[in-house]
Amino acid sequence: MSITVEHLTHIYNKGLAYETKAVDDVSFTVGDGEFIGIVGHTGSGKSTLIQHLNGILKPESGRIFVGDTEITAKGVKMNEIRKRVGLVFQYPEYQLFEETVRKDIAFGPRNLGLSEREIEERVEESMRLVGLDFMTYAERSPFDLSGGQKRRVAIAGVIAMRPEALILDEPTAGLDPKAHRDILDMVLSIRDRSGNIVILVSHNMGDIAEMADRVFVMDGGKLLRAGSPADIFADEDYLKRIGLGVPPATRMANVLAKGGFAPDRTILTLDELAGFLASPSSGLRRDAT
Amino acid sequence: MIRDITLGQYYPEYSKIHRLDPRLKIIVTLVYIISLFFIEDFGGYIIVFAAVAAVTALSKVPLRFMLRGLKPIILIIIFTFTLNMLMTKGTILWEWKFIRITEEGLYNAIFMALRLIFLIIGSSLLTLTTKPIKLTDGIECLLKPFKRFGLPAHELAMMMTIALRFIPTLLEETDKIMKAQQARGADFETGGLIRRAKALTPLLVPLFVGAFRIAQELAMAMEARCYHGGEGRTKLNVLKFRGYDAFAIVVAAVYLCAVAAERIFI
Repeated sequence: MSITVEHLTHIYNKGLAYETKAVDDVSFTVGDGEFIGIVGHTGSGKSTLIQHLNGILKPESGRIFVGDTEITAKGVKMNEIRKRVGLVFQYPEYQLFEETVRKDIAFGPRNLGLSEREIEERVEESMRLVGLDFMTYAERSPFDLSGGQKRRVAIAGVIAMRPEALILDEPTAGLDPKAHRDILDMVLSIRDRSGNIVILVSHNMGDIAEMADRVFVMDGGKLLRAGSPADIFADEDYLKRIGLGVPPATRMANVLAKGGFAPDRTILTLDELAGFLASPSSGLRRDAT
Repeated sequence: MIRDITLGQYYPEYSKIHRLDPRLKIIVTLVYIISLFFIEDFGGYIIVFAAVAAVTALSKVPLRFMLRGLKPIILIIIFTFTLNMLMTKGTILWEWKFIRITEEGLYNAIFMALRLIFLIIGSSLLTLTTKPIKLTDGIECLLKPFKRFGLPAHELAMMMTIALRFIPTLLEETDKIMKAQQARGADFETGGLIRRAKALTPLLVPLFVGAFRIAQELAMAMEARCYHGGEGRTKLNVLKFRGYDAFAIVVAAVYLCAVAAERIFI
């Protein structure tokens, strides 16, 4: 499945003095199985953009295709779209409401009108995918869990609908380093398992650089650049100008470059940085002779 | 969707009316409301109309904002108008089967409708030209004398301020949760009454949980800044009675005299 967006524009508070173009003429295509990272400072239109992809928001103008279906056309069944495109909002743990973890995760599948057996199966599967032991957690109240666990339950509630594309809006915001890493590993394993589209919105450039196949840069509602992490993060000055930055490893490599130790390609991850530092070409290695 | 609801009524502007002491505005509005009930004929309404028109012009609030305040009560106005028109006995003007419109009825109907309209416009002038914070400040100040009788004036005002402050926050929260549940296939828009009420659970539970969380955080933040109730608390912006406030009192007094004179002499 692919997702195509054509000339999408969204305006908040239309007709009022403070109307704002939150998304301004954005077009892109996401291919089957692609992992997209979206970056942009707060208020750049990322969240508004992704809320269009499963029909939660209606655009002012423009068209969106999910697979062959034009979801912006009239008479499209919204549940059909939401089944195919799963959207995990920021701080999704605030949407939990059921008495038990099992019931909360079952909410989505139940809305799809599945059979009880199918629902049960999906709850078990998605709990496994997010790394929550079914026996331990299924009957517990979601409100008694830790922040990271709550978030896993909420994410499980979305993937239990078995979407063909999974969109996550800052899934690691406000988590400690361990929970942060766990959520990222979880996203990667879900993607490896299913081979589906993943769109990740994040302020953490390191995460994006490590995981994404392509990076979208947004500013002022416009999609300004799209390209491989190496291409996007090669231009540190530009990213800084629009309130963003580069991954820590890239930053370090750029500082080294200023000192005369330039790597021959864009460094994105700590592993790559370590590899460069250890290589003879860096000129930093002092071999014992 | 929910974001588009206009909240509060305050119309930001820097007019003479906006700058008046909120205490004075509250009292004058009360006096104005009472004065409306003393008026007995249309002559009185001419004075009221002149006064309201003058204050509106001074306040620089566009007319359409003033009239927007009438929207929610338009049904009530129509209802009283119709009832008055049909139920009053007197000289018959027009008759069709059991429907009977009398001269007195028509007169009463117009009179009552005007009274309601003036009532609403007058009080919306208060809320349109006074920031909610100043309004509660004024109310707190006016309620102070009743402290003696155990009325917690400061606490009441604080509660009002907080409630006003959190209306937009809770609306935003509702919007977010609604979207999140819709993303999980929740349907808030179709189905019968019972189905729709049931569909609200996934919205209301997180909303309540969120409201308690917000309340707790706010209480903690207030305590961290040493809030301990109204005792001995001073204000950053002390309400001050100034020259043109006194002038406004004179104007209000003239208005009141005019209404009284109209009633007695004309």
